Amino acid sequence: MSFRVDRRHFLALAGAGTTAAALSACGGPDTSGSSATSAAADIDFKDVKPAASIDFWSNHPGKSEDVEKQLVEKFQAANPGIKVNLVTAGANYEEIAQKFQTAQAANSGLPGVVVLSDVWWFRYYINGNIIPMDSLVKQLDINLSDYRDSLVKDYQYANKQWAMPYARSTPLFYYNKDHFKAAGLPDRAPTSWAEFAEWAPKLKASSGAQYAYMYPALADYAGWTLQNNLWGWGSGWSKGWDITCDSDDAVAAMQWVQDSVYKDKWAGVSSKDSSADFGGGITSATISSTGSLVGVLKTAKFNVGVGFLPGGPKATNPVCPTGGAGLGIPSGISKEQQLAAAMFIKFVGEPENAAAFSGATGYMPVRKSSDMTAVLAKTPQIQTAIDQLAVTKVQDNARVFLPGADQEMAKSVAKIVTQQGDVKATMGDLKKTLQGIYDKDVKPKLKA
Amino acid sequence: MSETTKARRRSASSTSQPERKRPRFSGRTRRDFLVFLALALPNLILIAVFTYRPLFANIQYSFLDWTLGSKTARYIGFENYATFFGSDDAPRVLGTTAVFTVLTVGVSMVLGLLVALALNAKVRGTTFARSAVFAPYVLSGVGVGLVWMFIFDPGYGALAWFLRSIGIASPQWFNEPPLALTMVIIVYVWKNLGYCAIVYLAGLQSLPADVMEAAALDGAGAGRRFLSISLPLLSPTTFFLLITTILSSLQAFDLIRIMTPLGSGTSTLIYEAYMQAFGSYNRAGYSAAISVVLFAILLVVTVVQIRFVERKVHYA
Repeated sequence: MSFRVDRRHFLALAGAGTTAAALSACGGPDTSGSSATSAAADIDFKDVKPAASIDFWSNHPGKSEDVEKQLVEKFQAANPGIKVNLVTAGANYEEIAQKFQTAQAANSGLPGVVVLSDVWWFRYYINGNIIPMDSLVKQLDINLSDYRDSLVKDYQYANKQWAMPYARSTPLFYYNKDHFKAAGLPDRAPTSWAEFAEWAPKLKASSGAQYAYMYPALADYAGWTLQNNLWGWGSGWSKGWDITCDSDDAVAAMQWVQDSVYKDKWAGVSSKDSSADFGGGITSATISSTGSLVGVLKTAKFNVGVGFLPGGPKATNPVCPTGGAGLGIPSGISKEQQLAAAMFIKFVGEPENAAAFSGATGYMPVRKSSDMTAVLAKTPQIQTAIDQLAVTKVQDNARVFLPGADQEMAKSVAKIVTQQGDVKATMGDLKKTLQGIYDKDVKPKLKA
Repeated sequence: MSETTKARRRSASSTSQPERKRPRFSGRTRRDFLVFLALALPNLILIAVFTYRPLFANIQYSFLDWTLGSKTARYIGFENYATFFGSDDAPRVLGTTAVFTVLTVGVSMVLGLLVALALNAKVRGTTFARSAVFAPYVLSGVGVGLVWMFIFDPGYGALAWFLRSIGIASPQWFNEPPLALTMVIIVYVWKNLGYCAIVYLAGLQSLPADVMEAAALDGAGAGRRFLSISLPLLSPTTFFLLITTILSSLQAFDLIRIMTPLGSGTSTLIYEAYMQAFGSYNRAGYSAAISVVLFAILLVVTVVQIRFVERKVHYA
């Protein structure tokens, strides 16, 4: 019996192997079962003892790895029977979500605590991936009323608490004080976009920067920051579950955005990270997360000013969305692990720990009673983020609750601000897409 | 396979004596077969478990309405395929895949051949030059992508700096879909050029020197020798490269993922499959259907190449 592997056979095998590999790359988990949405019933943790070890999956939002390590060590010192393994589970919210959902599909390797962003937790709820925390809040005596109300409410659905605030942020208006001074402008953020449009030519003429203003990178949550413009113009991505991104006001808002890039030419669109572009002096102003604040202050070689987001022609308040991430507990782990996870979540949310996390990153302190004196002495700009919290608004459902909506919004914005696409047609197409996602992927599961 | 070879085989077959009927499994062949099994079975099991089992599972998932992370799924027949081919996704993704594959394969092979001709010259420093040309091929795609992102950055990238120095504004490589695709193609070709160059170089060095010398004595110039002798004799190498580069190009992922995470303008079939399942849509069933489409394309491309393109190959 002889086997001859010649060139022809080799190439055929290579082809077969490659095609097989292309498919095997998309393997997945068990598909059985009948109900997906997270069980709304409280879990009884009486007589449950916390697990000896849990994993904490984080993407270290706001370059928080060091402070997270400190918090873990502090927790372990206070709770010698519980070991917390800090795991870098991704470089951003999408990567950590990918890993978490893959673990769900494989039904193994789940963490005790997972960082979940504003656009992901609801999907985990829909898929039954996380547990309601109400009974744990009661049993561990977590003082929910001391958490900032709007941040806690962000994770409430069907009368249950599905996660706790952690790295919570809002967008901030960042400006180069030196550029503003050189242009003869007041040392403050503009109160409206109309005011900034008046300032922009002066800034561009005197600063030497490429742009007076830079829109955040499209891959960097364009749907989040542009809610500011939509709200200022009296519209939004959606109102409740009604998709409104094709309304006259929304189209007017996006037309104004497009004009700032193509007609008036004082604005650009960041390729990767607008806070890095701002820190590098490429633009005189931008909007970025409060989580970028400490990093910007470290890297910028000029005086950095921060302010509230500007308003629009129809609304000056509230025009700032909340954002960032919280901490959740998977449903697919043991009760012992869930209890240990809740203890850790309670610990990192203690006022002094929330203050430490805020000081290290620029994220907002999630507790009202956090003593921010030392943090504010070092980074007074954080006060602006805290003050702005009073005038924030919960994000539009279309952005945070529809799977893939953020990506579709980014694609549409790209068409408008990088390809000069027709704004009305683009926003109309976006509405159709978002409506399709809602009808197919969300509405049936809400009924269930 | 050339006509001469075929004729020789036909002739050999017609003149051979009728074989004596042998037992199907003599002691020797049984022993050989057992040795074959002992050597091949572990690998066959691994391939079956880790390649073909997921392959068939993936085909099964392509018939499901299944959200990644969900414990439940619904059988929907061919709906995922109908959705893909009925939406704007199909022409966009297939078009991007075709452009990316044709350009990366075509440019890599043409430039690879030119570089191989240069490296084949007997001058000092060719060893270093060969290493330098091949080095990018073995580098991590992620690392390569990150470095090139810095080069292409329109704000503070090396290319933007150079362009500004001659009074030209940098194109928005990352934000404009056609430019994003161009950028990824450039980097992909840069990274994989060395592979084509080295394989072509090996082919060039195995060409019969006597034929080339004879042609030269007959007065054929360098260009004529290349077109009439080297290029036809290199056809097995070209054929081999054509298959392997098309296969790897259709699977290109790392550079696209790193340089254009949204996939705006760069979403090839494999990247679209990734984005649909893991990006943010979580449509695992739909993603599986796209993977099956990719599987079918790879299969057809390979079969067509083996069946038809090889006929044009001249084996030395």
